[in-house]
Amino acid sequence: MAKLFLDSDKYGTESQSGVIAAFHGVLHDIIRQRFDESGQDWKDFVFGKANEAITKEDFDQVQQALLDAGHRFDWSAAISQKERPEAYKAADGTSDEDLASFSFHHPEAPTAEPDAEGRELRGVGDNVVRYSENTTGIARYVRSTDRVLRWLTDGVPENTIAVIDDSGGTLTAPILEQFKGVICAGGTVRSHLGILTREYGIPCLMNAKVDGIKEGDTVMFESSARAKTAEDYQSDREVTANVWRITK
Amino acid sequence: MKLDYAQLLETNNLLQTNGDETYWLCVTRTVQESKLFPVPAYMLLSYLNAFYRYPALLKKIERHMPAEHLGDRARQIATKANGLAMWGLPCFYLLGREWMINMGIIRPEDAAEDVAYICDFWKRFELSWRRNSGHKTAVEADHRSQIHPEAQLQVFHADMYDCKQGDELHEAAQAFIASASQYAFLIACECRISLHNHGPYNLGNGRQMIVRDFLDLSEYDFPWLDGVAEDMPYCSLTVPMATKGVDFNLIDDWGSFESDPEFKGEHIIGVGLYTSDPLSDGYIPVGMGSREELTQTFLGLNEKVKDAMAKLWQKIAGWSRDQMMDAGALTYYAIIKDLAHIAGCYDPDDWIKIDERAERFRPLLNDEYGRDMLGEICVGSGPSHQFSDYLMMPHSNLPQRIYTPIPYSILVDGDYAPTVGGVQPGITYLDEKKDRYRTTEGVLTIDEYNRRVQAKNQDLLRDGYRYFCETSVKYKYDTEQCDEYYKLYQKNSRTLAGKGASLRRADITALRAAREE
Repeated sequence: MAKLFLDSDKYGTESQSGVIAAFHGVLHDIIRQRFDESGQDWKDFVFGKANEAITKEDFDQVQQALLDAGHRFDWSAAISQKERPEAYKAADGTSDEDLASFSFHHPEAPTAEPDAEGRELRGVGDNVVRYSENTTGIARYVRSTDRVLRWLTDGVPENTIAVIDDSGGTLTAPILEQFKGVICAGGTVRSHLGILTREYGIPCLMNAKVDGIKEGDTVMFESSARAKTAEDYQSDREVTANVWRITK
Repeated sequence: MKLDYAQLLETNNLLQTNGDETYWLCVTRTVQESKLFPVPAYMLLSYLNAFYRYPALLKKIERHMPAEHLGDRARQIATKANGLAMWGLPCFYLLGREWMINMGIIRPEDAAEDVAYICDFWKRFELSWRRNSGHKTAVEADHRSQIHPEAQLQVFHADMYDCKQGDELHEAAQAFIASASQYAFLIACECRISLHNHGPYNLGNGRQMIVRDFLDLSEYDFPWLDGVAEDMPYCSLTVPMATKGVDFNLIDDWGSFESDPEFKGEHIIGVGLYTSDPLSDGYIPVGMGSREELTQTFLGLNEKVKDAMAKLWQKIAGWSRDQMMDAGALTYYAIIKDLAHIAGCYDPDDWIKIDERAERFRPLLNDEYGRDMLGEICVGSGPSHQFSDYLMMPHSNLPQRIYTPIPYSILVDGDYAPTVGGVQPGITYLDEKKDRYRTTEGVLTIDEYNRRVQAKNQDLLRDGYRYFCETSVKYKYDTEQCDEYYKLYQKNSRTLAGKGASLRRADITALRAAREE
């Protein structure tokens, strides 16, 4: 079978991602085969016959091979899991029933027993803007369009600190203004959600590593901590604000 | 176009320049994710569309207007021909190329002439657009983005209304800015391209001004705004903001900023409001007749933004994944579409369709592959990015490059496919775009819009003015020509109309003080 240019890569190694390595392995074989069949020089093939010879069906075959081997994809957009539940891992923490017992569990979240004021450390995050006071409210997860749609109609419950694992600015677009605070388990202070909470003047932690915060818990986060900067990220400097569950 | 050694050297330099900053932006700024949109997957699709279509479409645009003239025009209005869009031009194209190299579908030398053309177009546009600071990128200017000439800045400075936290204008402006920022992210399917900041500009006395543009707010190029945004009376809005007590020490090519201390609403001490587009002679004031009018204008626009945002969110929540993929991919891919508007040759089939060559790849683009692949090509961890063990990449010190250079060996063996060729038919899962485009001259069809743009004789680009620059002003400010040049910028200014070229910043401050009295 034909040799591809990347078969003699001096420095590159196989992707660390299993799904990329698997996809590209199958794809390389398809390219070799189609190139062989073309009988052309590569420079004539690449933007000529290759456009018709390598088809959407070929790419479908690439992903199907991995599904047939039993792999199920991680999902990030709810619509992906909803449309193809057979191809994606199950969606936890998106329905009201799930949320009764759901919580984020970050393996690096620092935790500690309650202090004298009843503040039980449940994690840390990157503070977007430094405010004069810490922020206290009721933790409520926002992980589905169903919940956003309901709160868009009924209003966000008072005193809500939204616990989110989506650093984007679109899922919560029509209701963000109503949150008292935001704890986001992804992104950086310059992610879209960080930018928007700053514009609205809503205290927010990004990149939060939290563990065991349940729907309805009273939580406090350290919005009075120093804000994390681009320089902090670039130099990999730990600048964090605490997240506590209030136990009394 | 036969490439020579000098062209390849410059191409690889431009490619490296964009790649180094792309790495820094990606590492320090964001993680692309959303529960609503399959963001990484649609970004990858957009990169392929850019790879297959940008070369032919930019050549089409340049048949109407060269890149350096597009930069001149873009400097005078708020469009998606700005720092972010023009960073995206080479970046999206080259990330598409890099991904295809990793897939083994193209070699580093394939499409070499396209790569050289894309980089050259980018260079010419940026040098023109940023000619007042003399840089090609924000990072070259130590992360500043100072675009406007004095004549424009004086108008923004002179006409803005003072405000302070707690007063009606401040609250109305801040509420609008927050809502419009969020609407901008939703319009753009999680991308920040509908929102852009440039500056800072020094107003003196510890005050700085940043200029924020909100783009594509109304019925314009995106089919998902048809109907939803028909009540938005302006497609673009520009808010110059005077601030005090805050130093914007970084404004990057994405238009995002860092400041010391962190910027909050309380730092805003003055605001203005303008609209503009390829049909306008510069910026047109919006609600700037009085302080009360401006307050009411912000309040009214805020209500319209919120209404459109709720409608749009509900529309998007009902989309299929393919529709979300298309909307996101087209938003990214069409990041430079306003170049076609400025040139008067916009065709929705060019910009709001997925090329059939890119469409083939859609089955690959599940969420997991999208996440992992985007991560690899943006931080340089994939096989194609790895180079000699001695190499230390800027920022990371790793032996990597974000974009693979074109090999110089092609100058000897000539073994490369020069170009992907022309635009091929496209598809979309979205509704067809309605032929309604909100402009500063009303709602037009695209043919009429293009016709008017082509017929427009821009005052500020007339003979003699295109090349009238800040150095010209420095030594010729007392000439009739310079006076007329300033008066063109001042013609819609309630403070400066007819005042001409002799004023300096302190004079503007004095005029403002006298007006307030």
